[in-house]
Amino acid sequence: MSSTLVSNMKYSDSLTVVGISICTAIVCEAISWLLIYRTSSYKSLKSTIDKASKKLETMKTTDPNTATTIKKSKTKKIDRVESSLKESSRDLSMFKFKSGGVVALVLFMVFGLLNSLFEGKAVAKIPFVPIKLVQKMSHRGLSGDDMTDCSMAFLYFLCSISIRTNLQKFLGFSPPRGAAGAGLFPMPDPKSN
Amino acid sequence: MRERKSVKFNLQKQEHQNGHLSPFKVAKLFDPDATWDKDQLGDVLHWIRQSLALVCGLLWGAIPLVGGIWFILFLLLSSGIIYAYYALVLKIDEEDFGGHGALLQEGLFASISLFLLTWILVYSLGHF
Repeated sequence: MSSTLVSNMKYSDSLTVVGISICTAIVCEAISWLLIYRTSSYKSLKSTIDKASKKLETMKTTDPNTATTIKKSKTKKIDRVESSLKESSRDLSMFKFKSGGVVALVLFMVFGLLNSLFEGKAVAKIPFVPIKLVQKMSHRGLSGDDMTDCSMAFLYFLCSISIRTNLQKFLGFSPPRGAAGAGLFPMPDPKSN
Repeated sequence: MRERKSVKFNLQKQEHQNGHLSPFKVAKLFDPDATWDKDQLGDVLHWIRQSLALVCGLLWGAIPLVGGIWFILFLLLSSGIIYAYYALVLKIDEEDFGGHGALLQEGLFASISLFLLTWILVYSLGHF
């Protein structure tokens, strides 16, 4: 009875897209665990970043009783810890980048599969008209002028972001918070003098 | 003047095990005297955002609420609830956690995606 109900829905294909996205997310995280998260290099880098972040937070806590001379040497120490943190974050990003090629290949293949299944077909209905920039993805490959028609690409994008991010968070595979601001292309710290 | 609470940074062994909060009492979520680790607070705010996204997406899609204004309303509502939670319920001093920006952006992008996904799915499946 439930299968009849689902097949009668106009946009039941959206459930297929979501289902495939969930399976893909699980497979990608399994691959990431195999190639990245269980390695000693990743664990030691993550531990280094966590320790450096905590140390930096403690050092940056302002103490009104600190003398000016002590504050200057503290600033130097802070700079050293910050540089070390940025270096470790860059190393972590590079490490994940090298191993992430396999995950990227899987995602590419799944996207190709979904594209072949649902090209030119609206898989869902968007309850608002997206902005022009988003329409390029949300109306990708669809005919007609109804911008509330949702393409597979947009739905898959939303699934990927929401499901993968939360799955990573749940499993504890999220990048350490101390590494959030750094990466392959670090931006200058606006708070530095 | 709002009472501010300084935070004791925990430099002892990490309480987290693979990102899970353990042992974590529900009472701590509503205790203004509880001390918070940056990671713990960030995780709690993240999951609150995701829960709000899920609930709002289900509600908006079921009614249904149609129009871009409801997306803006969700952003304001979820950010308002997060702000009220850490500022009024937990009475956190945001300076110890990187400022309002850092706290408000915890889980923001994922929650927007989850909200849109849920809203679109419920609306499409329930009304067509």
